[in-house]
Amino acid sequence: MDESALERYFDDSIANESSFMLGEELGLQDPAPPRQDASHLSAKAGPRGEQGEELDLSFLPDELSTQDDTAAAAESQTAADTSHDSGICPDYNSQDSTAAELQQGASTSGMGTSASPFCPMTPMTPMTPVTERSGIIPQLQNIVSTVNLCCPLDLKFIALQARNAEYNPKVLTMSQCQCQSVVNVTLENMSLFIMVFQRFAAVIMRIREPRTTALIFSSGKMVCTGAKSEEQSRLAARKYARVVQKLGFPARFMDFKIQNMVASCDVFFPIRLEGLVLTHQQFSSYEPELFPGLIYRMVKPRIVLLIFVSGKVVLTGAKERAEIYEAFENIYPILRGFRKHVIT
Amino acid sequence: MPRPALSCPGCGSSNIVDDALYAQAQLVCVDCGSVVSEGALVDDPVGGSAVSYSWSTAVDKKPCANLIKGLQRVKALCRSLRVHGEIENLSQTNYRQAYQHESFIKVSLQKKEVLAGCCVLVSCRLLNWPITMGTISCLLDADPMVVGAVYQEMVKILNITAPIVNVTDVMEAHSQEYKICSPQVPEEFAANSKDLTKRAVALVELAADSWIITGRRPVPIMMAAIYLAWQSLQPTKHRLKFSLDKFCQIAKVNKHKAALKRITEIKEVLCKLGREIPWVREAVTPDNVVRQVEDILQHRYALLRRALRTHEEALLEECQASCEDSPTDDTAPSEISEPVAQTKNSSSAEQCEPNAERAKRSGDGDADPCTALELHGDTQESQVPATNWGKRMLFAPPCVIHPKKRRMEQPELKDVTGDEEISDSEIDSYIRTPQEARDFALVQKMLSASESEKS
Repeated sequence: MDESALERYFDDSIANESSFMLGEELGLQDPAPPRQDASHLSAKAGPRGEQGEELDLSFLPDELSTQDDTAAAAESQTAADTSHDSGICPDYNSQDSTAAELQQGASTSGMGTSASPFCPMTPMTPMTPVTERSGIIPQLQNIVSTVNLCCPLDLKFIALQARNAEYNPKVLTMSQCQCQSVVNVTLENMSLFIMVFQRFAAVIMRIREPRTTALIFSSGKMVCTGAKSEEQSRLAARKYARVVQKLGFPARFMDFKIQNMVASCDVFFPIRLEGLVLTHQQFSSYEPELFPGLIYRMVKPRIVLLIFVSGKVVLTGAKERAEIYEAFENIYPILRGFRKHVIT
Repeated sequence: MPRPALSCPGCGSSNIVDDALYAQAQLVCVDCGSVVSEGALVDDPVGGSAVSYSWSTAVDKKPCANLIKGLQRVKALCRSLRVHGEIENLSQTNYRQAYQHESFIKVSLQKKEVLAGCCVLVSCRLLNWPITMGTISCLLDADPMVVGAVYQEMVKILNITAPIVNVTDVMEAHSQEYKICSPQVPEEFAANSKDLTKRAVALVELAADSWIITGRRPVPIMMAAIYLAWQSLQPTKHRLKFSLDKFCQIAKVNKHKAALKRITEIKEVLCKLGREIPWVREAVTPDNVVRQVEDILQHRYALLRRALRTHEEALLEECQASCEDSPTDDTAPSEISEPVAQTKNSSSAEQCEPNAERAKRSGDGDADPCTALELHGDTQESQVPATNWGKRMLFAPPCVIHPKKRRMEQPELKDVTGDEEISDSEIDSYIRTPQEARDFALVQKMLSASESEKS
């Protein structure tokens, strides 16, 4: 088989894969070989170079609309679920996006053939799948929160009296802008966005349980980092407030607010970052010479995702857990489209 | 007209008139004719007139000297890269625009020079001229990280989305740097640059397919490709023993340490393909694979198919062994001839039926039957074993095959409500006893005293 035919074959297989998932969801029993799938194929991917078939959506059943509702309800429930993160859901519901994309398939039928027949040319926001649930739940890695203790503090005194505190007012620390050009960043390090001044004018305090670090400023404001959940962050902040209270200051616990949440997960397949940056140019930035991951700035919800070739994804910039889940569910079908097979 | 209150020093007369002789005003005594005082020329304020030059002549604000120098630097960079005129014009426009912006108007001259390089870079990218950031950093003699930071800031300010650079395109330009042609090196090391480039490009394409390029810096990969291409063009014993260090020395390029790792990775890929060559009797190892490179590249698609088939057969054997134990819910058997993704919900029985034609399916497909098997077999497991999916594919990104060891996470608190009681004893454990505090203060004083003594 010559090369171009081989290419077409593999692109067909991607489409076939999806068409079969769709077939199952709609209850169609169609375990036919690829020849027969050509009609499905052409409906989904639009006219390819040599095939040039008409768009034929007649096989779509009416149940698709009802499926949307139940799926949407299930999705909102999952998003609101605040129980702890586990790995993959037991009822691993396979993909996903094809149903939604089919509905919009008519408008995107002119798409190119190679990388992903399902991603539209210039989406304003990434398409959300009709049938949701990638089955993967991002795990929270770090929560940054702030609280106001509402009383001026004597940092030297605190540093003297507390065991777990350090205070070096003359030390210059690495500022955030220098951090931006760090290349070798591990998943854990990514979450440490420390707010620092040129001269470090805060006490650094640490507690063991939950394992967190706090920056306490002389104005009485405090930043708490390192917790793995919102509740843990709140508990930790209260513990720091208690320590300050015990040291003799009239500390209160006002305006506790979560400022940033960082989560990570793994989709378990490699991703063609070059392809992703081509089709999602307005959201992505990929500079392999500077950083090995692709930086995807999602508009809705406003989350920044770091996508790596290994399939690991880091999500950051969220104020609420639901934003992270929503962002991941938005990106997962896009990534599946770039689940490129080995041969070109 | 007579001027009051002035007397002529010559004759004492007070009859002094203004006389504009030759357009220069003079005060002249009518009686004796002596000049009492000259006009504006003599009486100009010391150091120039009260009105400054720029106010009086009303000249347009000239572009500042640094901007002009910067534009000339942009031009020089474009000339040395030998890009065409459009790119030069675009870079100059971009530079002018970026220079005026508040983030760049007050930075150091060094940074402005880096900005010039970045403008050239972005213009090349927009007009499809392949060039890497590494090349620009070399030309500017600047730290690549600094160049990167300035580039990203500039792109944000000018609101440009520039396409990324394809390594295959840059390959040709990069290979020109290697001085490995006949007159430059002894005959036994020489290589025709066209052949070299062609082979290196083929190697790079192979690397791209096998996940070696995504996420990595392009220059070490290109160096590795050129080195292997050079070796394989004439796989004499001498060349095969020639290390990368020495190669870079004779080719007069700076060696990149990462190139060594890329060479190993590319050789591994070549071995996987080389093993499928039917006429090679001996075992193909990274040491002797270079001799086969020509054949591998020539027949790479056929070899890829064979390798995938072999790999899939091996996996199916493995699956067959383990699938006998796991329970199966769906008993509807469907052949592997079906699109592989369907097997996500299918039983394990199907995977045990190999179908040679469908072996053309990518290595990805191999992952599916077994991951689906895992997921169905052990629904209690919370996560598919992380590293295994990489080891099961024929080609996978090296960071997946060789994952970094991560520090084990401590068992975390579960079910924290955030409003629990905080025990006093716990808080007390974080506070020093009075004695401790005194000791600490004492030690601090002693330390600071000794430090100030030293300094």
